[in-house]
Order: sequence, then structure tokens, then C-alpha cells
Amino acid sequence: MKIRLTSVLVDDQDKALKFYTEILGFVKKIDIPMGEHKWLTVVSKEEQDGVELLLEPMGFAPAQVFQKALFEAGIPLTAFHVDDIEKEYERLSRAGVAFSMKPTMMGPVKIVVFNDTCGNNIQLFQPL
Amino acid sequence: MINIIYENTNMNYYQKEFFKIRDLHFPHEYQISRIIQAKHFIDHSSPNNINLENTAASACLSKFHFTRLFKKCYGRTPHQYVTSIRMAKAKQLLQSGITVSDTCFSLGFSSVTSFTGLFKKMTGFTPGHYRQKKQF
Repeated sequence: MKIRLTSVLVDDQDKALKFYTEILGFVKKIDIPMGEHKWLTVVSKEEQDGVELLLEPMGFAPAQVFQKALFEAGIPLTAFHVDDIEKEYERLSRAGVAFSMKPTMMGPVKIVVFNDTCGNNIQLFQPL
Repeated sequence: MINIIYENTNMNYYQKEFFKIRDLHFPHEYQISRIIQAKHFIDHSSPNNINLENTAASACLSKFHFTRLFKKCYGRTPHQYVTSIRMAKAKQLLQSGITVSDTCFSLGFSSVTSFTGLFKKMTGFTPGHYRQKKQF
């Protein structure tokens, strides 16, 4: 059994695709229309056969309640690994991304937290 | 006292919890820096040349203290971490077509039997099977 798919809840799939590809640098993998929404996944440019990230719409109302609660508490929905967090922080800041936490150490790991504009706080981490 | 400091700031819930956890589990930044430095020493050394003495010494810590702090930071002992590096190197060598015995001895294992046992434990495959699988 393997982990090949994970997801982030998004309030708008088209907006999410734009942010996750044009700003974060992921690459669209699968895009299958399914009525009101799409099965829409992205992958890392560096691992295009790796784990897919589903940009999951919130058709189920309680999911919106969950997302809002996490967001207001500042809790990241998920975290992505980076090789150079200071460089990513500078790059994303220049691109207009809003950070709630600038590069901060937690033991041997450095993290940042930003707003993905789709209802989530997202964490980046670099193990040192 | 620490709880009062967190409660009286403009931090959000996550930030407060984050710093509470950090103060509780990683209170001494200078020690963490030394452990990180030691891990970089391991990462940049040949797997055959690493031993606990010289790695702990690179962090200016006793072996006991170093092992305890390393495990606290990385969730595994220095020995377990070095083993994982050796296994990653073994996979690379096997994938490139190097024989099982050449891989074994180049990584400092004393016997093919012990290397095979450890490789299977870590990867689920024998080195021979792994090499065969990756070549086709």
C-alpha cells in the first residue's frame, strides 16, 4: 500500500490552480471535469511522478466550517518540504504572498506559514 | 510565567502553541545548533569514516549526551541515522549495476550475510532482488 495522493481544501479550484502553479511552482497533473467541480491535481516540478496534491473543493458544508476554524486559529492545513526556506520566503514575499510566520526554528527544522488565498494557512519546512 | 507571556500577546492560537512547544522541547538553541552541525558532519563524511566518538566530539558533547539530544531532534539515534545513509548509498550503488558483494564491502560491511540481512530489514527486499528490479 502506498501514499500517492493527498489533498488541500480550496474555496475555488481555478484560483487554487493559479496560486499553486504560478506562485508555488507546482505543475498540473490531472484535470478531469466532473460536473460542478473537477478532479484536479498538481505535483511537484521536482517529482512529477510523485505524490499528487488534490485541490479539493468543499461541496460538503462542514468542511468549510473546519477550514475556517483552522484558518482563524493560524493552524496550517498542511506542510510542504523545501530545500532552502530563506530563498523560498524571499521569492514568495516578492510575489506578494502574505506570511503569518517568517522563518522560525523549531528544534532542527525551520518553518514559515503563509496564506494560500484559498482559505488555508500553509506551512513550509526545511529540515536542517 | 511562560503561559502568561503567551496569553498577553497578539499571537494567534497556532503561534502560541508553537512557541510553548518549542520552549518545552527545544529550550537551548545553542545545543540544537551543535546537533545540526554534527548531522551536517555525518552528511558530508564517508559512511565508513563515521563513528560516535568523532561525531560527538564535532558537537563538543559527550557520547551519551550527544546520542540523547540527536534522538530528541531527529527521532532516531546517530547510529540509526548513519545506517539509513549507508542503505541509501547501497541502493544507489545497486541501481548503478554494482554487484551485491562490491556494494557490501565498499560500504564497510564485514560480510554479505550481515549486509543482506540489514538491507532486507530496511527495504523489504534482498540486495539482489532490489538490484534486479531496478535494472529492468
